[in-house]
Order: sequence, then structure tokens, then C-alpha cells
Amino acid sequence: MHDLFTEVWESVRRNRLRTILTGFAVAWGIFMIIVLLGAGNGLMGAFNQGGRDFASNTMMMGGGWTTKPYDGLKEGRRVRLDMSDMERLDKEPFAQYVDDVTTTHTQGGFTMTYGRRYYTNVSLCGTFPSYSDMNKIQIVAGRFINEKDINERRKVIVLSNLMAQNFLNGGNNFRDLLGKRVKVGNFSFQVIGIRKGDESSDDRDLYVPYSTIKTIFALDNRIDQMTFTFHGLNTEEENEAFEKELKASVNTAHRAAPDDESATWIWNRFTQNLQMEKGSRILHTALWIIGLFTLLGGIVGVSNIMLITVKERTHEFGIRKAIGASPWNIMKLIVAESVTITAFFGYIGMALGMLACTLMDKTLGQSEMEVFDQSIRLLVNPTVGMDVALEATLVLIIAGTLAGLAPARKAARVRPIEALRDE
Amino acid sequence: MQIELHNVHKTYEGAQPLHVLKGVNLSIEKGEFVSIMGASGSGKSTLLNILGILDNYDEGEYFVDGQLIKNLSERSAARYRNKMLGFVFQSFNLISFKTAVENVELPLFYQGVGRKRRHDMAMEYLERLGLKEWAGHYPNEMSGGQKQRVAIARALITHPQIILADEPTGALDSKTSVEVMELLGQLNREEKVTIIVVTHESGVANCTNRIIHIKDGVIGNIEENSRHNASAFGTTTVMK
Ligand SMILES: Nc1ncnc2c1ncn2[C@@H]1O[C@H](COP(=O)(O)OP(=O)(O)OP(=O)(O)O)[C@@H](O)[C@H]1O
Ligand SMILES: [Mg+2]
Repeated sequence: MHDLFTEVWESVRRNRLRTILTGFAVAWGIFMIIVLLGAGNGLMGAFNQGGRDFASNTMMMGGGWTTKPYDGLKEGRRVRLDMSDMERLDKEPFAQYVDDVTTTHTQGGFTMTYGRRYYTNVSLCGTFPSYSDMNKIQIVAGRFINEKDINERRKVIVLSNLMAQNFLNGGNNFRDLLGKRVKVGNFSFQVIGIRKGDESSDDRDLYVPYSTIKTIFALDNRIDQMTFTFHGLNTEEENEAFEKELKASVNTAHRAAPDDESATWIWNRFTQNLQMEKGSRILHTALWIIGLFTLLGGIVGVSNIMLITVKERTHEFGIRKAIGASPWNIMKLIVAESVTITAFFGYIGMALGMLACTLMDKTLGQSEMEVFDQSIRLLVNPTVGMDVALEATLVLIIAGTLAGLAPARKAARVRPIEALRDE
Repeated sequence: MQIELHNVHKTYEGAQPLHVLKGVNLSIEKGEFVSIMGASGSGKSTLLNILGILDNYDEGEYFVDGQLIKNLSERSAARYRNKMLGFVFQSFNLISFKTAVENVELPLFYQGVGRKRRHDMAMEYLERLGLKEWAGHYPNEMSGGQKQRVAIARALITHPQIILADEPTGALDSKTSVEVMELLGQLNREEKVTIIVVTHESGVANCTNRIIHIKDGVIGNIEENSRHNASAFGTTTVMK
């Protein structure tokens, strides 16, 4: 091994400029692969950032407008879900898949006051205990709404830690706020929990029991939408079948055609994620292919200089063969040189690529865009992991071998007699 | 018989095929010191290359130690060259970017000998040939005679049974030529190595014990020369 590398080093040293120029193409190829994959990861991260806070196996269902006449009614009628639809999910054939069912009712535009401090434009969200799990609400002090709150229609409230901080004059001891009363509009609520906020507009949502809100605002049985978690639906087909059946059932109950696509809508986070994953895989593959084609240029370059090297060293290989080098000995020399050049410059490219990814993370990755009152990061963590580095290493070694193979075979075939003949 | 050729033919294919060897029959015994002489283009180098398994022949048979050497794979040819044969060329054929000692080491490298041992052995051979101080020098820093001695050291280091030398003195002046021929003669006497020298210089041929003349692609007369008086130019000098 040591001897092999000594030979390779000698040969590379004799052709320094040419090696560097070719190596540059290889470095560039790998650099592109790393940067493309990093940017791709960042992009997918940005797409996914909205989804990361939710249980992935949830569906949301709501009413829409009919587009077909049915049961003696004309099309264009508004459909609104009600409590009976939530109960429907607790019965077969849906109950076997459905776990928790919740709904929320949000009413906005309130001002919340605590002592002399206040918050404007907050929303009251009436909801159920399982909302917390479904939406991965993190409680930092106290608790979320429970069954008892619902049953007794308690006037209790959960707010975000950022609001709590404001109310506590910037203090962090959220427990101090538990049990205290805050005023939202004209209603007084007791604080039972502080949740972790994320500085998004959702922070202004204050959670209260659904039953409480229903009473306060005198809501009837109709609901805006219902959200439920489910299990046992693992493929897109199974999900589609389930959705179709549920729609048909709900539609008929509201005197809409069972196959009316617009009478009710279902939004399925699980299949959405499946599709996102598929998209992410396709993007990943596409980026690899683009990168590999860029690298191909470098590989062709390496192959080319190896051919020139072989031509220049024909006489030397003839000497080596005359003193006992086997074809394999000669081949090894060329392949090792090719792999060394490819791997060396590949690693430089990889290091620079990772550096570029880090820079990308520090600049673009931190910039945010305001879209519909939501701040969205363009790239989230646009870097590549160890797995890509390992894959790239493998690619380099394979590429180097391939680049060296044809020249190496040519070298191995050198007939000593022809190589030694004096011109 | 260590080396035996029966009716060996060699034709160089080309636009105009050239039938160079037209049925060579030759026997050389172990430990002989022979020269092959002939006019330029008579096929001396061609014959030597066949003996050295550097080239193929078309017809006939070539035996080394009773072993038929014909259509060998490159791998086994490499093994023979490495273990049995040593080459000395007119143009030295040292590797220019390797020092003298590295050049001498190379055959051992292909035998798989370790680095340290290889180096020590190469130094020993260089010392024997009086080139110890030149071990670290590159070929282009050495004179023709020194280079040829390095080449001889390289040929000797694997203890070959046969040394094939194609015009080993062709690029040397007469004084160095004598030295090189004396060195080969000494090796032949002391180590019982079979040495075959191709030359067209009668003085060089006179240093050997048997002179084989090649003419028109076949072996002509063979002179016994154990008293080294074949040369018209005297017995002690190698005339150019
Ligand atoms: N590879 C080759 N292809 C075609 N013809 C060749 C080849 N090698 C040698 N010849 C021809 O074969 C003939 C014999 O060549 P060879 O080299 O054996 O001669 P030689 O006796 O060694 O001559 P010299 O004393 O000049 O070295 C020459 O006419 C030469 O031109
Ligand atoms: Mg010749």
C-alpha cells in the first residue's frame, strides 16, 4: 500500500498542473452535488416546517357547497357539519379507524387584559382535551383543558408563554400566573395552563373549553369543522376509500349527493405527508442526477489525463514488465492514481460544499418571508448529513475506479517489446 | 540443456510482412557465456526478445529447463521474467524518475519483498558494482557505464538463471565496454549465470566463450572461443 502510494505521489507530482486542473472539475462536481442536496434539504425542510407540530395521522373535515341536486334539493346549497357528525365517527364503520375527535370554534378580535397589561386582537379557541395531542401543544406550566372543564363548562384558559411573560413583566416563573384571572372581552377566565408559543400568529390563540364557548356565544349544534386522529389506514388507497365512505355518509345525512365532491371537504395530513415524502424523494433523486452529471465532466477529465499519462509512461511500463511486473501490477498503478486524484479533489469539493451549505444556512436559512401574516423561512437547515458524505465518498471511489479503468487496461496491455523498442 | 530452440520462425506482420527468423535451432547450456553476432537487421534482437519472453514466435518450439514457452499468458510471462531472467539493454532502460537504488529494488518489489530488505539488498548489489555513492542519484546524473552497471545490478538482484544482454556496450566507450564485459564474465564464472550477449562488435563477442553467428534468419557457424582469440583485433581489448 505504502509503495503504491509512493508511486502515485511521484506520478502526480511530475504532472502537478495538469492534475490540479483536472482535479478542479472533480471538486466542482462534488461541490455541486453537496450544495444541490443541501439546498434541496433546506427547501424540503421549509415545506415541512408547518407540519412538524402536528400528529401526522389526522384528518380535518368541513362543510362546503353542493354542486349536484339531490333528494329534491337544488345544487349550490351550503352544508354545515354538526355535533351528530362527530358522533358518527364514534360508530362503525368509522370507529375502528378513528381515535379522538375534536372540533374548534375560533372567535377573534378580542382584547385580553391582566392588571394594567393587555393584548389586542386575540382569539378565543373553543376546543377539546385531545386537541393538545393532535397539535403537539407543549404545556410549560399547569395543564391543558380536561374533560371536567368541558363537562362543567368552566371558564378556564390556556395562553402562550410569550403572553405570560409579558404579563409577568418579562419574568419566567409562569406558575405565578396559574389560577389568576384574565379578562377576554367581557369575560373573565382563570388561567390553568401556559403553553409554549413559537412567535407565529397562532400565539394569539387562547384555548378554552368548547362547551364554555358554546354557551358564551350561544352556538347551536353546528360546528365549523372536525378534526380526528386515526389508525390502520396505511396506504393512499386505504385512505381514499375511507374518505369516500365518510363523505358519502356525511353527505347523505345532510341531504347532499354521496358522490358530491364539494358538499364536504376532507384534508388528510397523512396522505399529504406521503405525497410530500414522495416529492422529497423525487427531488432528492433529481438533484443527485444533476450532480452526478456535473461530476461526470470531472470523471471524463480524469480519465483523459490518465490516458495521456499512460501514453507518456508506455516506455516505463515496458521496463516494468520486462523486470517482472504483471498486468495487474500496472493496472493497480493507474487505478490507484485515478482514485487518489478523484478522492483527493472530491474531498476538497465536499469540504467546500459543506462550507457553502453552512454559509447558506447562516444567510438564506435565517431569512424569513411574510406570507399571509405568517413568517416562513425560505430554507430550513440546508445542510447535508453524514449519510450524504458517505454516499459521496462511495461515489468518488467508484467514479475514480471507472475513470481509471480504461486507461489502466490500456497500460496493462502494453507489450514490453513495443514499449522497449528504441525509436 | 537449459535453452533449446527448435525450428523457431518469426515474421513481423505489417504492410510488408518480414520473415526475420527462418527456423532457428539453438541449444545453450546452463552456465554458458555466449554471444550472438550478425549483421544489422539480421534478427539478433528479435531472437533475444523471444528468448526473454518479451515477444512471441510464430512457429517451432522454445524450451527453458525443458518447459515449453509458447503462448504464455502475460501473467506467467511476467513471472518468468521476474524469477528466471535478467535483462541488460543497450539504452539501459532505467526508470528516469527513480534513483539508482530504487531502480535496482524494483524487481524485488514485484516479487513482494518488503521495503527494508529490498533496499538493503539493492545497496549490497550496488556496492558490489562499486556504485554505493551513486545509490541516491538519478539516471540522468550518471555516466553511461554507471548506468549500465546499475542496470546489471537490477538484472542480478533476483538471482536470475539467465541474463540476456542486447548490445550492453553499444552506448559505451571502449574502456567502459571492457569493464562491463569483464563484469559479465566474472558473474558467469563466479555465479554460474547463463549469459547471452547480442553484439555486432567482434571484440565484445571475443570476451564470450562461444560465438553464435546469425545470418539470413538462421544460425550460421558457431565458434568455440574458450581461449578468447577469435578477434582479429587482439585478445585484450574491445575494439570499437
Ligand atoms: N516490430 C517490428 N516490426 C517490423 N519489423 C521489425 C520489427 N522489429 C524488427 N523488425 C525488422 O526485423 C529485422 C530484424 O530486426 P532486429 O532488431 O532483430 O535486428 P538486429 O539484428 O538486432 O539489428 P541491429 O544490429 O541493427 O540491432 C529488421 O529488418 C527490422 O527492421
Ligand atoms: Mg538489435
